[in-house]
Amino acid sequence: MPRPLWSGSLSFGLVNVPVALFSAVRDMDIHFNQLHARDASPIETRRVCSADGQEVQWDQIAKGYELEDGRWVLLNDEDLAAAAPHKSQTIDVECFVRECEIDPVYYDRPYVLSPRDEAAARAYTLLGEGMAKSGRVALGRFVMHAKEHLVSIRPRGAVLTLTTVRFAEEVRSREEIAEAVAAGAEPSSEQIENAAAIIAELEVSFDPSRYKDEHRAHLQRIIKRKQKGQKIVAPKVQEEPKVVASSAPDLMGALQESLARIRGEAAVGGDAKRKPARRRSKAAVQGATRVRRQS
Amino acid sequence: MPMPRSLWNGTIAFGLVRVPVKLHSATESKRIAFKERHALDGAAIEHRRVCAKERKEVPYEEIVKGYEVASGEYVVLSKEELAIADGAQARVIDVDHFVAEEEIDPIFYERAYYLSPGRLGEEAYRVMHAALLRTGRVGIGRFVFHNKEHLAAVRALEDAIVMQTMRFADEIVSDSQLDVPRAAKKATKLELDTAQLLIDQLDAKYEPDRYQDRYRDEVMALIERKARGEAIEPPERALLTREADLLDVLKQSIEQHGARKRRGSRSNAGKRPPSKPSAGEPSASKPTKAKRTAKRGGG
Repeated sequence: MPRPLWSGSLSFGLVNVPVALFSAVRDMDIHFNQLHARDASPIETRRVCSADGQEVQWDQIAKGYELEDGRWVLLNDEDLAAAAPHKSQTIDVECFVRECEIDPVYYDRPYVLSPRDEAAARAYTLLGEGMAKSGRVALGRFVMHAKEHLVSIRPRGAVLTLTTVRFAEEVRSREEIAEAVAAGAEPSSEQIENAAAIIAELEVSFDPSRYKDEHRAHLQRIIKRKQKGQKIVAPKVQEEPKVVASSAPDLMGALQESLARIRGEAAVGGDAKRKPARRRSKAAVQGATRVRRQS
Repeated sequence: MPMPRSLWNGTIAFGLVRVPVKLHSATESKRIAFKERHALDGAAIEHRRVCAKERKEVPYEEIVKGYEVASGEYVVLSKEELAIADGAQARVIDVDHFVAEEEIDPIFYERAYYLSPGRLGEEAYRVMHAALLRTGRVGIGRFVFHNKEHLAAVRALEDAIVMQTMRFADEIVSDSQLDVPRAAKKATKLELDTAQLLIDQLDAKYEPDRYQDRYRDEVMALIERKARGEAIEPPERALLTREADLLDVLKQSIEQHGARKRRGSRSNAGKRPPSKPSAGEPSASKPTKAKRTAKRGGG
């Protein structure tokens, strides 16, 4: 079991459940080290005091905040803990909402909440079951890493997941973008219908296990080849499909042509007519993609 | 307000249609930015890159990227070789599938970006936007950005297309990797009913604007106190209460909530969370999903 990132209590009503917080995601990225090109030795980052040029140990580094008059205020972790002691120790559930009301743009990082022991597991499980039955997720807030987090808590199988939710001020206005969008020509209903038909043809159930990080695998192969001293050559650039259209009059043609090809391929796939979209086999869906790339 | 700077220019591939788009960050951090200072003399801290062997500072142009294949053994990749890994489709968001939004577990969502139409892409953008809105579906595609491949969800907000990067399935920690303690005894029906009653009482409508980061103000107040030379006392550690009887505490919570509600004014008598005035609003009329979907969305 990994070390918890935070521990405290989860509080709803008068119930307080001792909980620990773990990351729900793990880093699978390929990480590179910085090396000195000349001798291939690792680069170390040293923290140096600008006043005396001496190296500074981590425990001698404070958090500095610059005041308007140019003076610096130095804070340490204990100072910050004093800012909101209750919030740093308790996830306070404020209300329950429907999950579909939270736009995914607001979601930040996911975590797993775990009860700290068997005694705590009872109230924890009860909260999870209650939310599952009523179709609600909990909204609460707490302080972690010197930042207040709005969070949504919901059951996922037998565990409760906690996802930090951005504050409204952290989500940018898209007024200018909406204006740029609205400046374009109004699409015809025929265009929209064709595009909607393409979407319907390419619809599948969301299956996350279908998608693998191909770039990561590719990079691993390149590293292996390089390790063996082989030369890395760029693959031939794929030819762009001939029917490339983003504006009228080709746009309508591209929409219709896409639809015809996807439908043609789906029919060859066999099961498209019986259960359109949802039950289409992976092969049929990939087939549709293949057609586009070959064209 | 100026148009946010675009981070990336590329194309959404969707059927045979290519939609030129620009990518803009949809979110920004508002946390108080601290800088590292030396605790002893308050001087700025500099980061220096030093060669482990020569013990000398190394200029940036002499630094390369190496992957550690065994302890102390590195394979160096040049920028060009890294670009090869990105592949030929590096500037294309390839949308292969469309799914229903409610099928996507929010745990997969990562960073959000607004898409604006790129050069000559206005018409195709609006067609795609209208079709996504009409079908209520989310396009699932992939693209490479900053030497990393991302799974992406492309979806329509009421006035723009938003793209959200998503985690791959193997990036999600499985339950078996976390040994979460299980309750020895199952909850009784009465306990479950009581818990649901409490959830009902605290029912609210999610309105992003109702939540403000109040902690930031508290940190700012702390900074001001410290600037005046005041001492900051360490906080007392709160005691965790162990629940002897879960059902009793649940009932007390409901009673307490009811009492607060009765004390409240008539206009407050709806389903409003009791103790935190900013937490929600009466939700006596429950809007339909379509209505809610139309109203949501960032910024």
